[in-house]
Parts: sequence; structure tokens; C-alpha cells
Amino acid sequence: MTWTRERVREEVIQILKPHVQADTALSETSHLVADLGIDSLGVMEVVADLEDKFKLHIPDDALREVDTVGDVAKAITTRLQNEGRLAE
Amino acid sequence: MSSVFSPRTVVQAIEDAAKSTQTGYRFIGEEGGAEPFFSHAGIERASARFGGALQSLGLQKGDRVALILPDNADFVFAFLGALRAGVIPVPIYPPTGLGKLAGYLDNTLHIVERSGAKVLVTSAEIRRLLGTVQSRAPELEKVADVETLKALREELKPVQVGLDDICFLQFTSGSTSRPKGVVLTHANIAENVHVIMDLGLKAQSFDNGVSWLPLYHDMGLIGFVLAPLFHVNSITFLPPLLFLKRPARWLEQMSRQKATISFGPNFAYALCNKRIKDSELEGLDLSSWRVAGCGAEPIRAENLRAFAERFGRVGFSEKAFVACYGMAESTLAVSFSPVGKGLLVDQVDGQALWSAGKAEPVGEGAERAAPVVGCGPAFDRHDIGVFAESDAESLTPLGERTVGELRLRGPSVMRGYWNDAELTREAFAGGWLKTGDIGYIAEGNVYICGRSKEVIIVNGRNYYPQDLEWEASRVEGVRKGNVIAFGTMKPTHDRERVIIALETSVPEGEGRETLKGDVRKAVQQALGLTVDDVVPVDAGVLPKTSSGKLQRAKTRELYENGDLLARTSIRRSDKVEVVKEVVKSQIGYFRHAILGGRKDQP
Repeated sequence: MTWTRERVREEVIQILKPHVQADTALSETSHLVADLGIDSLGVMEVVADLEDKFKLHIPDDALREVDTVGDVAKAITTRLQNEGRLAE
Repeated sequence: MSSVFSPRTVVQAIEDAAKSTQTGYRFIGEEGGAEPFFSHAGIERASARFGGALQSLGLQKGDRVALILPDNADFVFAFLGALRAGVIPVPIYPPTGLGKLAGYLDNTLHIVERSGAKVLVTSAEIRRLLGTVQSRAPELEKVADVETLKALREELKPVQVGLDDICFLQFTSGSTSRPKGVVLTHANIAENVHVIMDLGLKAQSFDNGVSWLPLYHDMGLIGFVLAPLFHVNSITFLPPLLFLKRPARWLEQMSRQKATISFGPNFAYALCNKRIKDSELEGLDLSSWRVAGCGAEPIRAENLRAFAERFGRVGFSEKAFVACYGMAESTLAVSFSPVGKGLLVDQVDGQALWSAGKAEPVGEGAERAAPVVGCGPAFDRHDIGVFAESDAESLTPLGERTVGELRLRGPSVMRGYWNDAELTREAFAGGWLKTGDIGYIAEGNVYICGRSKEVIIVNGRNYYPQDLEWEASRVEGVRKGNVIAFGTMKPTHDRERVIIALETSVPEGEGRETLKGDVRKAVQQALGLTVDDVVPVDAGVLPKTSSGKLQRAKTRELYENGDLLARTSIRRSDKVEVVKEVVKSQIGYFRHAILGGRKDQP
């Protein structure tokens, strides 16, 4: 299936929600560790959920470039784009 | 199995095992990748080549080489290659990313400097991340790319390695200001491998293991890289991050290899309970699994029972659980519960345990019953003693079922910390190693109740409260030096909850809510762990000793019984007391900043 940037962003936020305390605001600039309090174990669970949702493989190295919710969405869209599954 | 134990160096063990072409290491990569297998003959050759490559960099017997290698196969061969060249490897954990790079670099630099490593071997990618480490560590001559070393075809020049030579330095995750390098000799390794494999696990030639444990940690490195070399057993390695991402991969490999032995901390079993879907159980057969070791963090019987219940239907037996007590300062293993018997749980009166330090047996289901998991008896020629923490010479062992500090003696105990006579002296009391763990002995079995060192363990990783406190102290609005961080298991959770209590002059209301958020953010950002609760209180509320030292255990107790929140402003009227407390705590802050604190990032 083909994704749009907007739908990727929405989906990423949906996947992150269960890992975040109810009263925490989730935005594109939220820092995964500092703002959302997701620890290294939680991050790997999120990665597994993202891989399942977007049918992608996210290598461990890619995590070093990820700080914020926006970075997550970007990492996903870049990979979808490379596979021709992103509608511009 | 040999009846008489004759110690060998790891180097000798590698050479002896090389006769076998059937057994060896299998390395599982990230999803869908290759799964190379190295027979013990192949391990001998690959490690010899790596040893030769390290020698070609000018490394000689006794030199240190730091290893930051996230790939399991790279790490194993670099490590074993160094041993064969007589070079002392210093494993360092790789960066996990996610915004903690500054702290990571700081810690890495400390270890490189303290070990005096001449060469650091790493991947090209991590080398870029490390940036200026080389210029900041004066003794470090070279940062070498692992790919380049692997391509070299250098002959290993034979080096005499004896049992009393240092095998490697195991840096423990101490408070970031002072990582401590445990010195282990080949004799330490040989002795501990003997107690693990012969006495503890009663390992046979048919045994084979699966491990996702990080190899820069003692349980993964000694338990699954070194011990199987001595006993010529096969091991399948999974990347640690793959396990954290897809815990089912662990059990799939157990099933596929018909593996008999695997180990994990408590959280690993809890993670399987939580994350593995029923659909992933299909086709699994765990009936060969005879030793499911559990160690490295407090063991919670209910997590393990839930695991056994869930995976019993694919052949897992609750009898496979072996509760383990261990620490890097004693090479790895201190004691194991007996193989094939399942968990040994002591039901004791929880109140008597904590208030009177007595482990009084009560019936299961009794109102104050607290379950404590037994970790078996001390191994042959090794002793576990219980002493009052104040017993500086270990003169008076405490009696049966009396709670005290556990102390160790025997051939697995380290010589000391690398280049640190002071820390080494502090680590021993009258010839016994002070573990910092609190426990008791009943009918010869050791029971661990907690830690006097106040380490917070989350998902198998140690966090020192001082580091959390230091980060929180730097937040605007927090009274410097008046922060207490601690972990609590109450209310019952499958992991420790991380709590930070702090004093502030910010009045109750919105300002404090903002402060809570700021503290949470600062600590999470710096240390990469989840802070569960931040409790701001008025000045003078946190309990301190007469010398101004913050009382962490007392604060935890107040938090757990709800009194801390009730006390947030209890002393508001008592101005004199408050002033006295303020003066005392400032002294504490400066002591921490000058003597015990971490350095600021340059």
C-alpha cells in the first residue's frame, strides 16, 4: 500500500501513545527519551511495532539518528520513499 | 566429565577445543541475514589471525586494547585474539543512540583513560561518533577499524600466557565519575568456569546454549563465550537488540537448536510474557531446555511462574529455572540453586525482615509473607559469609536467618580494581569481598533481599542514584544537593519504579508542576531511563543524618508508606530547623561536587 507523509505521522503517534503517560503531549518535536520518557527497552518495542505497521526493516544503526517523534516519521518516510511506497 | 579439576588458561582452552569441527559458535545477525557457524577449529584459526593483527599494531603482552564492537562475531574474535596475543582486552558497551551520546562519550573516555588502553578497536561508524576521544586520552595511540584488522593476514607470534596473567578488565557500570575495572586472571576464569559448568550446571557434552546477552557484560562474556570453550559446547548468539525488539527470536532459537541452556535477567522472562504473541508460539518446542538461568537483577518468583505457565504448553518446564547470584568482582557466578529442582522460595515475615533484620519463616499466603528466592549454596572452595556492614574486619559472622551484608572468599574473587589501590582496599573487609548486597543464609542457601549500595536496576542495567541526583540538581529551581533518587518495587510492578524526591523553594502549584517536568526531562535525557515519579518538597523535608548526609533508605520508606507526600511542608513553621538543614545539605553538595561527583561535560 502507498502512504502519505501525513498518514505516516498520524500512525507514528498512534504507535507511540501506549508508551507515554496519559497526560503527556505528543508532538513532532517531542523528544522520545527526554519528553516522553521512553527507555531503551520501550524504544525497541516501538521499533517492532513500526516495522510491523509499515512492513519495513529498521536497522539498529538507524536509531542513532533518531531523537524526536519527527525524526521517527522521517526515518519511516525515507525508507518508504526508497521502496516507492510514498505518495508525494 | 573430568573428576579432577586442573585449571587451564583461556588460551589453552581455545587450543584444546580446536580438535572439534562439530561444535562451535553460531552467530545470528539482524533479521534475515546470514547465520555464520564457526567450529571450534575455526575459532582457533580466526582468533589466531586477530591476535596476529593486534600484534602488527605493536601491541605486546600486558598492553590493553579497548573493544567497542556491537557485532557479536567481531567482538568474540577480537576478544579471543587479544587473549592469544597476551594483550588485555577491555570491553566497552557500544552507544545505544537516542540522545545520550554526551554521557556515553564521557563514560567511554573514562574507561579508555583509566585502563591505559593503547589501541581502541571499533567499527567505522562508531569511530565517527567517538570523534575526539583519541586526542583526549593521552595514552591511546590508535583507533583501529575492525574491518581493516579482519582483512590483515598476520601470523600470530606465540606468546607465553600463564594462569596468573591478567585475562581481561571488566569495567562495571559504576557511578559515571569512576568506572571500576575488575581485574580477572586466567586462574579466576578457570576456577569460575569450573564451578559454573561442572558444579553448578553439571554440563555434559550434549549441552548447547543460546544467548542474546550483551558480550560486554560478564554473564554473556564468561557464561557463553568463555565457559563453552573450556567444555567444547556449541552456542548460538543473537544480537541483544534483536531480542529486545523481538523476544520471540530467543525462544525460536532455543527450539531450533534444541538448546539445553540459556540465561537471562528477570526482565527477559517478563518481556517474553508481555510481548510474545500466541501466534508466535506455534511450532515451538522448548522441551530440551533444562537450565533457564535467572540472575543479574532481583528475581521475582511471580514473573518466572507466569513464564512457566505461559510457555509450559510448548514444553517449557518450571523445573528448568536456576536462580543465580553473581557479580563481576567474583568473575561471574557466586552461587546457583540446584539444577532440575526449580525455584526455591522462602516465605518470610516481611516486617521482621526489614525492621529487625530477621528472616522468620511464615506460611505462604500469610498476611505479611514476603517471598525471597534462594540462590543455592556457596560452591566448593568458595565461601559466602553474612556480616554486619559495620564489621570492618569480618570478625563476627551473623547467624542463620539473620540479615546482613553478603561477603565472599575464594579463587573466583578478583585481585582488585585496575590501578586503584584505594577502591580495592575499600572493596575488602578482613580478606572478604564486600558485595554491597543484603541477604541471609538459611540451611546453607543464600537469599538476597536487596542492595546496600542503593543501585537502581532497570531492565538489567544498573543506575547509580548519585548520577540521577546530580542531573536533577542542575535543574533551575532545585535546591542543589537536596535530591534523593531511589528505586521502589512498591506497589508491585515487574520492574523497579524510579523516583526522584527533591527540595525546592518554588511554591506549591503550577511552578512545581513545571519543575517536575523539567527534572524528569533532564534526567531522562542524560541517562536514558524512565523516571516514574518526581516529588518536590519544601526545604528541610528530606531526611538527613546529623552530618547532613541524605538518607536514601529512609526517604524510600517514607515514600512507600505515603508519608513523604504528607510531609511536603511539615516543617514550614520550624525556621531554625530549616536553616540548620539547609547548612548541612550545602556541605553535602560540595562534598559530592568535589570528591564524589561527576565532572561536567567539557
